[in-house]
Amino acid sequence: MAASPYHKSISRSADDFSATAREPRADWITPVSMALLGLAGVFFIHSAQAYSGGGLWKMQIIWLVLGAAVYAFVSAVNYKVLLQKAHWVYAAGIVGLLLVMTPLGVEIYGSRRWVDLGVVRVQPTELAKIAVLVMVASVLARSRVEHFSSSLGTLATVAVLSAIPMLLIFLQPDLGSTLVFPPLVFGMLYVSKLSVRFFYASFGVFALLLSVLAADSYLYYQHAYAAEEEPAAAYEDQSLLPLRDYQRDRILSFVIPEVVDPRGIGDTWNVNQSRISIGSGGMWGKGWGHGTQALLGYLPSAVAHNDFIFAVLAEETGFAGSSLVLLLFGVIILNGFRIAGLARDRFGMLLATGVSVLLLVHVFINIGMTMGLTPVTGLPLPFLTYGGSFLLSCCALQGLVQSVYRFRKDFS
Amino acid sequence: MGPPFIGGFRYGLLGLVLLAGFAAVFARLLQLQVVDNDALAREAQASREGFERLPGARGPIVDGSGNLLATTRTVVEVGVDPQALVREDFARIPQLAALLGVPEEEVREAFARPGTRWVKLADAVAPEDYDRVRALGIRGVYGNFENRRLYPAGSLAAHVVGFVNAQGVADIGVERSMDFYLQGQDGWRESERDGRRRELAQFRWREVAPRRGLGVELTLDLFLQAAVERELDRVVAEYRPKSASVLVSDPRTGDVLALANRPTFDLNHYNEAGEAIPNRALSNVYEPGSTFKMVTTAAALEAGVVEPSSEFDCGIGRVRYNGRLVSLPSDYRTFGVLSVEEILVRSSNRGAAWLGMRLGPERLHESAQRFGFGERTGLRLGPESRGILHPPADWDGLTISRLPMGHAISATPAQVHRATMVLASGGWLRPLRIVRRVFDEEGETVVRFESGPSARVLSGEVADRVNRLLERVASPDGTARRAQVPGYRAAGKTGTTQMIVEGSYSRENHVASFTGFLPANDPEVVITVVIEDPQVPGVGSGGRVAAPVFRAIAESAIHQLQIDPPPPPAAPDLPLAYQTPAP
Repeated sequence: MAASPYHKSISRSADDFSATAREPRADWITPVSMALLGLAGVFFIHSAQAYSGGGLWKMQIIWLVLGAAVYAFVSAVNYKVLLQKAHWVYAAGIVGLLLVMTPLGVEIYGSRRWVDLGVVRVQPTELAKIAVLVMVASVLARSRVEHFSSSLGTLATVAVLSAIPMLLIFLQPDLGSTLVFPPLVFGMLYVSKLSVRFFYASFGVFALLLSVLAADSYLYYQHAYAAEEEPAAAYEDQSLLPLRDYQRDRILSFVIPEVVDPRGIGDTWNVNQSRISIGSGGMWGKGWGHGTQALLGYLPSAVAHNDFIFAVLAEETGFAGSSLVLLLFGVIILNGFRIAGLARDRFGMLLATGVSVLLLVHVFINIGMTMGLTPVTGLPLPFLTYGGSFLLSCCALQGLVQSVYRFRKDFS
Repeated sequence: MGPPFIGGFRYGLLGLVLLAGFAAVFARLLQLQVVDNDALAREAQASREGFERLPGARGPIVDGSGNLLATTRTVVEVGVDPQALVREDFARIPQLAALLGVPEEEVREAFARPGTRWVKLADAVAPEDYDRVRALGIRGVYGNFENRRLYPAGSLAAHVVGFVNAQGVADIGVERSMDFYLQGQDGWRESERDGRRRELAQFRWREVAPRRGLGVELTLDLFLQAAVERELDRVVAEYRPKSASVLVSDPRTGDVLALANRPTFDLNHYNEAGEAIPNRALSNVYEPGSTFKMVTTAAALEAGVVEPSSEFDCGIGRVRYNGRLVSLPSDYRTFGVLSVEEILVRSSNRGAAWLGMRLGPERLHESAQRFGFGERTGLRLGPESRGILHPPADWDGLTISRLPMGHAISATPAQVHRATMVLASGGWLRPLRIVRRVFDEEGETVVRFESGPSARVLSGEVADRVNRLLERVASPDGTARRAQVPGYRAAGKTGTTQMIVEGSYSRENHVASFTGFLPANDPEVVITVVIEDPQVPGVGSGGRVAAPVFRAIAESAIHQLQIDPPPPPAAPDLPLAYQTPAP
């Protein structure tokens, strides 16, 4: 992997690897915000499971403790080590994704997203996010990226490096997680002083892709909903786009819910009930444990504690609580960008930026989904959603930012 | 802090994107939680609130002896929510189908129906069977309790009992008039439902128990009613009339003991009734004809304008009356001079006209009114006609000679029946009574309906005199020979009128009627029979067609009401010792 032209620069900066800050320093803004969000998660996972009577909130406490440990560990390691070891991280990420396809992989609801490690099931997708972040950051940090034409090689490398895990995740299939990667990569390219023309071009490609998707959705609508008689064959068998029909249904149910699910009991049930949950919360909420939507199972118990945890929280804490949560996310994201600015090396800057972009994407898509702003994609909400792999990966990512803060070069 | 890691423009753009993203989310949050809060909270509330009506069972209707005529049964409408089924449920389909008595394929089809949350499986399952269905443990299969009206007597007294339609509205009969007492008070239950639409008993916050409706006891005698129905069935089979009505009542109280019409219908299948629904005893009007002569005769005697022995020349066809030449109606045979008594016994039209002219229009009209003509009987069993009785101001030149014989007047069978009751009761006009009392679940009387106030129409003396004449009508030499009841003294009057078909009197279509009572000396039961357009060769006269019906019903009444035969002619007063010889 590591091409020889860069070898020199790596060994030159290797002197700094072991160098710790002259005086110990730490960022407290992010960990405090994380802790608050994680704690809120425990409380509202409890609320979310009142109907089904599950006790996952206890598990979440264990995950939080583990997450704190991971955070502490990653924070303690100088992030610059990763500049050298990026390809190992990346390789681990890819291997994890490949494991899904082996007998170790577990199929749930028709998707193979999990790997059974005996004691615990993990989601390799989460590791892959870290892997791509670290790998792309290291590539971009070591390359001169300026003009579009002169950076083509680097861009191609980045494209391939991110395309491989995206493809593997898409095949699981997990469309939502697949779509996390482009913003991450573009975010890092954005701060890499790449020529503006690249973004114009990308925007063009993006618009093209979007129109192809729109056309495909329209054809699917014609096929499945506008046709007089029941269609004989599934649309996915005759389409060139590698999408499943249920994914198309989700897209359509976002655009024309009244056609796809006229009675609001199918694809749009969750979003509808989530919208009602959030809205009925009002200014101050119904109080902890008094959110009827989750309590009575209107928000289906299968999603209330993970994808739709924000709806549970918003119902019980109202606009006040929801705003506080949004504020905490905003603080973490902005603090990430601030630390990116503090970093005096490109690797650290890119890492911090990438982490904030990832967090931004997750928060925006998940909360948007619960409010009917974005399509249902199944992206979890960091720190709040129940789930070990995701929580640990979020902690690791924020640990990287802390590491950047702690081990950055200080010129002052 | 300056933009150390990217250019100012990119830094600004990044900030703008972040700001726009968060602003959008905040705006949406504000819209949902503050602006739309009320609407969405209502939506959440509405989807959660379960308001369940608990129907109060309708009270029963029984006859005078407590026989059930209408009752309410609790049944369960059982259905399935296909979306609440789990795989194991399909294995229980055969048991479920057997319990419900529904073909297995039907259940299988209902279980597999997509896109719906309720498919009806069975209409009226008994509560104990429903318990067995629940014991199968299929969560998606559940039922709604419902009270259904049942009429054990079927078509017996259909027009009296009436029915409650599918919308739960009482349509006709006692069901309608006594609806206020019969209808139960619905209770209700407010509770919360969960996301699967199951009621949450722990969140039930208001429950009002339903109250059963009160029972209604009629004056009807089911045995007599059955006899009447049987007799009417025979009439229908024999004469195929357009319609027929019979009323039976007790003249001493005004209690209606039986009331039946043809055509009739089964109350349990009222929706197939069609033309049979009207209660013709109250709604059909016809010209009472000769039966009205008893009113004319009684009124003339009561007014004192004639003596029973006064004689009139019934052989002449025209007579000068109030300065006009009035043509008298003809008789079925030409009579000579007839006494008042003979006019009634032999049913002379011309003689009745004489009596009417003696009375004069005002008194004749007033008498008819006092006998109840032109007024509804007030039985409140459904639409009732008041008949037609024109005031003298509207009379034409013929009315004074035609009204006395029961023409130029229209009446319902019930009105004729009530007029007969005036005579049978010794001169009292009594309201008819069909509901005796309203009772609660323990059978205790809640409301008692007394016989209404009576008005004296005739002196007892005149009534007795007329009754003796009516007894002669039903004697071997009267016009109603066939009304005779062996061993008893019956009295009554026949009537045969031409039906008005297309505006003129028809020669082929008649209304045959008989109204009478027994025993003649102390009447206990009044019976009126009206048969519209009996299909018989020749004239279907009241004496030929209706009188035998009277007799058959009278015989049943004697049996059921235990009416004593008249005492035998006074026997020599012998000492008891002669009857039981000493040992």
